[in-house]
Amino acid sequence: MDTLEKAVDRVLSGDRSAFQQIVDATSQKLVRLGARIMGNQADAEDVVQEAYVKAYRALSAGEFDRRSSTNTWLYRIVVNGAIDAKRTQKRRAEASDEQIDPGWDGAARAEARLALSELDDWLQALPPEQRAALVLQSMEGLNNTEIAQVMGVSEGAVEQRLVRARASLRQKREQS
Amino acid sequence: MSEQEDLEQRLARIAGATDALRPSAGFGARVMAAIDHAPPPSFLETTWLSARRLLPVAALAAAMAVVWAVQVDGTVDDELATSYSSIEYASLELE
Repeated sequence: MDTLEKAVDRVLSGDRSAFQQIVDATSQKLVRLGARIMGNQADAEDVVQEAYVKAYRALSAGEFDRRSSTNTWLYRIVVNGAIDAKRTQKRRAEASDEQIDPGWDGAARAEARLALSELDDWLQALPPEQRAALVLQSMEGLNNTEIAQVMGVSEGAVEQRLVRARASLRQKREQS
Repeated sequence: MSEQEDLEQRLARIAGATDALRPSAGFGARVMAAIDHAPPPSFLETTWLSARRLLPVAALAAAMAVVWAVQVDGTVDDELATSYSSIEYASLELE
């Protein structure tokens, strides 16, 4: 059993401090995933923070049935939260990411911010479910079975979302 | 984006440029503080979760009720048929 699953066991047995280990082990991947769906880091951190609160509540209440791995389960909570947030989102001011303390290299951060902004503009017209499926496949490297587990839909539905997303992007490119 | 860059290349380039993304300073502490200050689940949330847990039990109870109803219905039919026969027999005897 890996460290993450052991930390989950400890939280399930009432050790709140073990949740910090879960956050430390997963926050980089989850914030990156959230940022790629949301289009900026500040919104992504809000979504991921909310996802962790939901996850902690579920673990404390014994609602995590372990039918999927902890990583897949956390991905699912973040993706669902990001899709919901994207549906209701009023775009943040461009400067919002500048207000947060990055805590990491300035040049790489600047490049990442530019890339996120480009991605957000490019995928803006896609419905959030298609956008999330495309990010999970092409940027997070998940296969269709894994995406289906994360999104809670059939593999056929995943395939359909990916085909439609790519068709929309190609059509957009031809029009421009 | 260059003229020649296709969709997959563009996705791969952006994925590479955002690979180094990591949470801002103090993110983990903010998460733990949010957990500490999160309000307890609302009445509706609690009710929904409890109801969801009871769903398999409710489905089983409903299935058993249907089986019971079908069996009872059959028994009632048999009893009615028997009693009609008795009535018919009694009528014949009276005649």
